[in-house]
Amino acid sequence: MTTPRGPQPFAGQEKRLRLLAFVRQDSIVRVDKRVEDTAMVWPHLLVIEFIAAMLWSIGLFVIAAAFNAPLQDHASPDCTPNPSKAPWYLLNLQELLLHMDKGLAGVVVPTIWLTFMAAIPYIDRSREGVGIWFTSPNGLRVTIFAAVFATVGTFSLILLDAFLKAHGYIEFATEHFPGGKQLLPNYLIPIGVMLGLSFLLVLIVQRLYAANTREWMMAIFTGFVAVYVVLTVVGTSLRGPGMDLFAPWAVPATHQCLEPSK
Amino acid sequence: MLEIPSLIWQKTKTSYIWRSLFRHGYPDSRKNQSLAVFTNVFLHLHPVKVRRHALAIPYTWCMGGLSFFLFLILTLTGTLLMFYYHPSVDGVYNAYTDIKDLETVVVFGQLLRNMHRWAAHGMVITVFLHMVRVFYTGSYKPPREFNWVIGTLLFFFTILLSYTGYLLPWDQLSFWAVTVGYEIARATPAIGDEFAFIFFGGFQLGPNALLRFYVLHVVGLPLTVGFLIAIHFWRIRKDGGITGPL
Repeated sequence: MTTPRGPQPFAGQEKRLRLLAFVRQDSIVRVDKRVEDTAMVWPHLLVIEFIAAMLWSIGLFVIAAAFNAPLQDHASPDCTPNPSKAPWYLLNLQELLLHMDKGLAGVVVPTIWLTFMAAIPYIDRSREGVGIWFTSPNGLRVTIFAAVFATVGTFSLILLDAFLKAHGYIEFATEHFPGGKQLLPNYLIPIGVMLGLSFLLVLIVQRLYAANTREWMMAIFTGFVAVYVVLTVVGTSLRGPGMDLFAPWAVPATHQCLEPSK
Repeated sequence: MLEIPSLIWQKTKTSYIWRSLFRHGYPDSRKNQSLAVFTNVFLHLHPVKVRRHALAIPYTWCMGGLSFFLFLILTLTGTLLMFYYHPSVDGVYNAYTDIKDLETVVVFGQLLRNMHRWAAHGMVITVFLHMVRVFYTGSYKPPREFNWVIGTLLFFFTILLSYTGYLLPWDQLSFWAVTVGYEIARATPAIGDEFAFIFFGGFQLGPNALLRFYVLHVVGLPLTVGFLIAIHFWRIRKDGGITGPL
């Protein structure tokens, strides 16, 4: 009997099963790389990571040395600042709840939105355009259109809301709308506007740009990003005492305490 | 004279202890470069080779990596801050005077607090930008669907981490900012009061809320995020690394 060349199996090894033989290639590592397309991680990737980490460390250090974190007086439940604002990354939600019911703006809309976001890959299942910014030139056009549409739309709605409220909208609604100022202004109209404009955006990009699933998904996502940014900016820099709308250069300073008599 | 340091270096590199630490030579050959990556617990998150496309900075802007880097900085500075912090509303040692002490008494305390604060804001931004990049490059597509889901969870937990940390100084700014969130939580349909009671530890912001936020901020949420990050990274590797054109 001739022994085959190469390393010999030790006693018992020939009975072992190789796991890889039973696992479809699809579900494990799929690295489709040709030799000429690859670079060694050491040093090429590690150098980039190291430089990025250094630059950010230095940047953070400089910022931390130059700007102090804010610290106001000891917390006091009896002294309400006007306006009381959430941290900036939640000011979009706080801005939203000026325009509809609290629970709807603060809980239901973000929950539905996060669920929808998580579901994106299960709606758009195509493999088209992986690894390419905006997938295609048409995708970029859809993205720009959606960004403009959502930015202009959100600003207009905020201004419209401020205008209507300044002209006795709430009093009018309380008197004349079925369900008073709750049902229509706080629930049905905002829900209708949010859903309606989303569907309208999808319809428009489908008509104008012949958008496929990936492209209308980009329109919706872009719309969300634009609304999110606009609401954050408005909530952060255009809202003053009473959460009223002000020009960015004319926002009055926060009153640290409401007068106790009011 | 010059051969003495060289001799010491040679002796060191061939010594029993050195070779027990590093099982490869200096990474100047393909073999040693590969060994350097996959025999190192920190570097083995990386494959030995990546596609050249993955190195292009305008493709990723390093946002995912920088989010992780900021998470590490936050862990480090946060741990140091914990040495000086009592999650208590009043008494001799309380949260607010601890922060005051950080600013006035502790050596480099102000810098430490500033770094933690700005890195936290930075992480919210980088995580958001990372998500935007992943979306626009279509990197959630098969086989990476579930990793996108984990990513959205990580975004949510990043916001939550930042929000729980916001209360800890217990000053007017943090107290009333978190009150806004508390009012929103109470407005949750059907389970508002119960949810607010569990999350904030009562029907008004007080010592219980501070303690709960503290525990969530320094233990619960970082562990959750660390766990999700591990899965996130592992799945990136298993799905073939950073996306690129097919």
